Amino acid sequence: MGSLKPWARYLLLLMAHLLAMGLGAVVLQALEGPPARHLQAQVQAELASFQAEHRACLPPEALEELLGAVLRAQAHGVSSLGNSSETSNWDLPSALLFTASILTTTGYGHMAPLSSGGKAFCVVYAALGLPASLALVAALRHCLLPVFSRPGDWVAIRWQLAPAQAALLQAAGLGLLVACVFMLLPALVLWGVQGDCSLLEAIYFCFGSLSTIGLGDLLPAHGRGLHPAIYHLGQFALLGYLLLGLLAMLLAVETFSELPQVRAMVKFFGPSGSRTDEDQDGILGQDELALSTVLPDAPVLGPTTPA
Amino acid sequence: MPRAGVCGCWGGQVLPLLLAYICYLLLGATIFQLLEKQAEAQSRDQFQLEKLRFLENYTCLDQQALEQFVQVILEAWVKGVNPKGNSTNPSNWDFGSSFFFAGTVVTTIGYGNLAPSTEAGQVFCVFYALMGIPLNVVFLNHLGTGLRAHLTTLDRWEDHPRHSQLLQVLGLALFLTLGTLVILIFPPMFFSHVEGWSFREGFYFAFITLSTIGFGDYVVGTDPSKHYIAVYRSLAAIWILLGLAWLAVVLSLGSLLLHRCSRLWQLIRGLDLKDGAAPDSEPRSQKIPISA
Repeated sequence: MGSLKPWARYLLLLMAHLLAMGLGAVVLQALEGPPARHLQAQVQAELASFQAEHRACLPPEALEELLGAVLRAQAHGVSSLGNSSETSNWDLPSALLFTASILTTTGYGHMAPLSSGGKAFCVVYAALGLPASLALVAALRHCLLPVFSRPGDWVAIRWQLAPAQAALLQAAGLGLLVACVFMLLPALVLWGVQGDCSLLEAIYFCFGSLSTIGLGDLLPAHGRGLHPAIYHLGQFALLGYLLLGLLAMLLAVETFSELPQVRAMVKFFGPSGSRTDEDQDGILGQDELALSTVLPDAPVLGPTTPA
Repeated sequence: MPRAGVCGCWGGQVLPLLLAYICYLLLGATIFQLLEKQAEAQSRDQFQLEKLRFLENYTCLDQQALEQFVQVILEAWVKGVNPKGNSTNPSNWDFGSSFFFAGTVVTTIGYGNLAPSTEAGQVFCVFYALMGIPLNVVFLNHLGTGLRAHLTTLDRWEDHPRHSQLLQVLGLALFLTLGTLVILIFPPMFFSHVEGWSFREGFYFAFITLSTIGFGDYVVGTDPSKHYIAVYRSLAAIWILLGLAWLAVVLSLGSLLLHRCSRLWQLIRGLDLKDGAAPDSEPRSQKIPISA
């Protein structure tokens, strides 16, 4: 790979990326296409029967207009069902969950700013908040990684393992711990609490949240007969889960990225030729915006105390 | 004493940051609440009025029948079916749309306007993301490194003749300006024109997309009343990838400059504290490389 020209290497990487996306598209098309078409036909049939039932007084244009209003309201998280006495989307717990979904870039989309001022503030808030949250993640990682590496070190000394084996064991252990505590356990809780979703859907939701994809298609919503206090408690729980889970996920990813096998795989595409110290660190840590890679400490260039 | 080190770490750096983060979250929540609560109530009331007016105009409809109908429509909409379109509309899961969805998964944008509804689709989505997200990070990392390698080094002013310094600064300014235009100004203008949004809405969409937040309240190529060109969403996906790579470079340069500035500040502080230092013994400040 080192003998390849840089442009050829980038081209190869681009091709691999596009191929992966194309493959995903083909599989998803095959899996989701038929059910989607079936659902589309069902909706069309429902529309047709509704129109036929009320043909005497309901012109099609009027129904189209109503549908437009319904979907516009829903797109911004305003429920079209029931009356206006419903709980607000923008009470403090909901707003907190929304801000957390911005700063973690999860962005479920279950609610979004409606006003122009809200949209403008959202842009400014994210622009200032994302670097700050990345700085926090960097600091937390810097403190927590040594703590999490201690059990691995102890096992390595006790069993007299080679460094590579110890690293693999540590990464596997941490990965398993994160998967159990932040993926499986919350999924079981969600499955137990929310009666209308399967265990698979609960796992899918947890994975979507912790990978910051946040499709938001399985978020618990208002109007499910829940007491407001319980609903708000659930939102606080989700907020805590999101923040702690993402940190745990980053720690696990960081540990895995240190493995020689992973480094070798990344190096396969790495630029050839001499590299400076700054180049040793990737532009991205774990995410597209991750500046969380802790930069090396500055060398002492002069005495900092009076002579 | 490792415990002391951890405690020092928490007390010195993490705790203030954590408190600031929590305060920032609360501040944001409060401001959003103030800005949005009224707008939401207004929107909800407006919709209720529309519904009432609709029921008054079409007396053959009763409230319950309409509610049930709306419920069915919304359930379909949540699964990605737009009831406003007819059966001749392109499928949500044709190749172009699936490709766009795959792109939003690996880049972790995840608009949520489209999501797999089958169990097999959800399982595949999880494993696809597990493989795709690291691949995307590696891809953007190397693309960013490649772009950064072609930028000049901003050395100390006295190291180069005047015209060379000027060229370097102009080169960097040109890179940032062109990038901003090509990534953050022209695409929102284009999307606004095609989708019928205002420029502000287009810019909001671009920012929410490229920061990988992706609310899904604005998504390109989803209006069934519009006829888009076949490659429209694919072009949007390519713009997202290029935009993320460009942002990675800009943020990398920003962090590098900040790091160098902090080094310079430490150096200056060290010199200020140094007692009786000769003026000529001043060590040369380090170069500030913009690229590797």
